[in-house]
Amino acid sequence: MIAFSIKAISEQEAVICLDGDLDIDSTEVVEENILPEMESYSQITFDFSKVPFVDSSGMGLLLNIVHALHDQHKSIKIINVNEDVQIVFDLLQIPEIIGEDIFL
Amino acid sequence: MYKDKLTYSRQLDQEELSSMDKTLKREINLARNIQSQLLNGKTPVFQGGKVSGASIPARLIGGDYYDFYPLVNGKLRIVIGDVMGKGIPAAMLMILTRGAFRSAAETTKSPAETLMSMNQALYSDLRILKSFVTLLCADWDPASSVLTYANAGHHLPLFIQAKQEKVEEVPKVKGIMIGGLPNQQYTNKSIQLSNQDTVFFYTDGIIEALNEDKEQYRLERLIQTLLLHKEKGVEEIQTSVLASVEAFTNGLAQRDDITMVVLKINDQQVEITSLNSPLMK
Repeated sequence: MIAFSIKAISEQEAVICLDGDLDIDSTEVVEENILPEMESYSQITFDFSKVPFVDSSGMGLLLNIVHALHDQHKSIKIINVNEDVQIVFDLLQIPEIIGEDIFL
Repeated sequence: MYKDKLTYSRQLDQEELSSMDKTLKREINLARNIQSQLLNGKTPVFQGGKVSGASIPARLIGGDYYDFYPLVNGKLRIVIGDVMGKGIPAAMLMILTRGAFRSAAETTKSPAETLMSMNQALYSDLRILKSFVTLLCADWDPASSVLTYANAGHHLPLFIQAKQEKVEEVPKVKGIMIGGLPNQQYTNKSIQLSNQDTVFFYTDGIIEALNEDKEQYRLERLIQTLLLHKEKGVEEIQTSVLASVEAFTNGLAQRDDITMVVLKINDQQVEITSLNSPLMK
């Protein structure tokens, strides 16, 4: 089960630190907790430093988060992706799908 | 009286729940049977090689997919894929994927065209459903021993060369997963296979299987296992890989669907003319 913490940088900007595997068991946390918490921010950074594993469901969740936040015209960044997760991102060409500028 | 009514009402709910439970179990079993029948269909038999597929869902039913489609020119089209998610939702999308593959395989000339056609057919549905499918599609030509493949975000197959003590991924070819972006073009790549060469197609449930220490099985272990068993036949290679993964996970619950397809070339003289499709066993 994934956990998360929010660090507000300013009224518009926040960093979301994810902690744990991003997989199918994260669905409810993402949809019922993380996305509603994002409503008041317009610049959101997801810190993946404590995400050791992302499976195909987790990848789908990530795409859905990015699409949902883009639809709300929010700016998104993803930082500190570990090597194993980056391999899966590259295999699925996630940067090409959601925009290479999202990854720092 | 009021209490009695409550009691009665509660009993009815339990009966209803029990009935719903039975119905649900029955329908899940039926769904599993349907998927199993469709997934474990006929395996093609052809001169010049042997092919076999196996899929073990993590739950009652799964979202992994493999299929064989004999083409009228004598080639065999192979596909392996992983639908996002697990269980019933993934299984429903897997059936959708199967239909799209069968339809596309009939009308397209190469693996790249098949993937392009499947993405065209499935993209809008997958976007609405917030899902995607990774696929690797390949044409095996028994007459020339050439394997041509295209990729939509899937793990590259492993090439086990009989004459060399090494296992490596087939040359890289990229492509966006089905449902990722609209109007995608895919690229074909080809490799020449020789006698006793093996190609191992797989889904991530193998290399991401976890042991008690939360270590992954990883590609390196799969390669070692394939090296160890490369002399064996296609079914035995599958059994050996499964046994190795099971030994590694040591009884821990399977986390993701596991699927593999093994193609092995043999020495037999190939006598295939056009319009002579492989037989289905």
